[in-house]
Amino acid sequence: MNAAASAAPPFETIVSDYGPLISRIASSYEADPSLREDLTQQILLAVWQALPTWRAESSLKTFIARVAQNRSISFVTRQVRQGPVAELPERIEADAPNPEEQVMQMNEREMLMEATRRLPLPQRQVIILVLEGFTYPEISEMLEIPANALALRLSRAKAALKSMLERSE
Amino acid sequence: MNDFDLDRLGDVWRQQPDPAELERLRKSAAAVARRARLAQIVDVGAAIAVGTAVIVLVLSNPTGRTFLLGGAALIFLLGSNIRQRRLRQLELKSLTGGTEDMLDQSIERIEATLRHNRLSLILMGPMVLVGAIFMTAANSDVDSAFQAAMHSPALRILAVAALAGVAAYLLYAIRRGRRELGRLRAMREAYRQEREKSAQ
Repeated sequence: MNAAASAAPPFETIVSDYGPLISRIASSYEADPSLREDLTQQILLAVWQALPTWRAESSLKTFIARVAQNRSISFVTRQVRQGPVAELPERIEADAPNPEEQVMQMNEREMLMEATRRLPLPQRQVIILVLEGFTYPEISEMLEIPANALALRLSRAKAALKSMLERSE
Repeated sequence: MNDFDLDRLGDVWRQQPDPAELERLRKSAAAVARRARLAQIVDVGAAIAVGTAVIVLVLSNPTGRTFLLGGAALIFLLGSNIRQRRLRQLELKSLTGGTEDMLDQSIERIEATLRHNRLSLILMGPMVLVGAIFMTAANSDVDSAFQAAMHSPALRILAVAALAGVAAYLLYAIRRGRRELGRLRAMREAYRQEREKSAQ
């Protein structure tokens, strides 16, 4: 392992810090719970394998999101089945402070997730990164597209997502 | 969800997941890291074991033919290890690069795998012949009980079944590769169209 690689935090810390990001990216590509579990494991393995190549010149979050998206896309190409399978709502904690509010938020999140999964791949990638809170320059760098092309792609993705969300209401 | 505010949707999207789900993820990550380390050890160990076995077999019967065939087997083993290593490095590079580059590399990789699988299927017959020659050469001076065991009908049936299994697997891999290639090309086309729309 080289000097740059040793700058990366331990794998366990990465999982604690970026586990939710990995989980959300896996969910936005795979609706079937068992396949999603498989995809999550493949992303974790890819991150574990790719970590020694990480250079501190890009943020670790960007690096992990890029690996997770690329692994998800290659996972999707290997699937034989046709469309995404309908997903059950996630489990809700019995002692949650505001159960009704949480149910509403969960439903909204599920609707958002489902609509995202239906977007064409290039648009889905952009929307996921925006929703994950990456800046436009970061997304532009990650997807290797110029800023104006990103703006146009995002605009089309937003229109498509809005239309899907309105239809699913 | 009438208001379309990406910032607000981002907040909904990034809701903290269920703690039980996070715990499952941590356990899953620990298992993945453990398996990956083990796989690395097994990979190196298997290569050393097979290499050592070939060397021992050759040294147990040091003739010109066994040296030649043993050397060929070692070169093949080394070549296949180098190929595997290069494939892993390529895959890693594509994972950490841009998506369109990854799709291009994946298409190239699948095409190469398809070519390799087709060639393996074609070369299966000649390779069996080379194997038979190697076994005959290696066993020519070994005691007759061992030779009898090697030529027993049960072992022959097992060898034919194994060969049939390999051939069936190669055929399956070729069909799966073709399907994957079709999906990859469709995805690549989606990106190309997206670029064209942006350029207009």
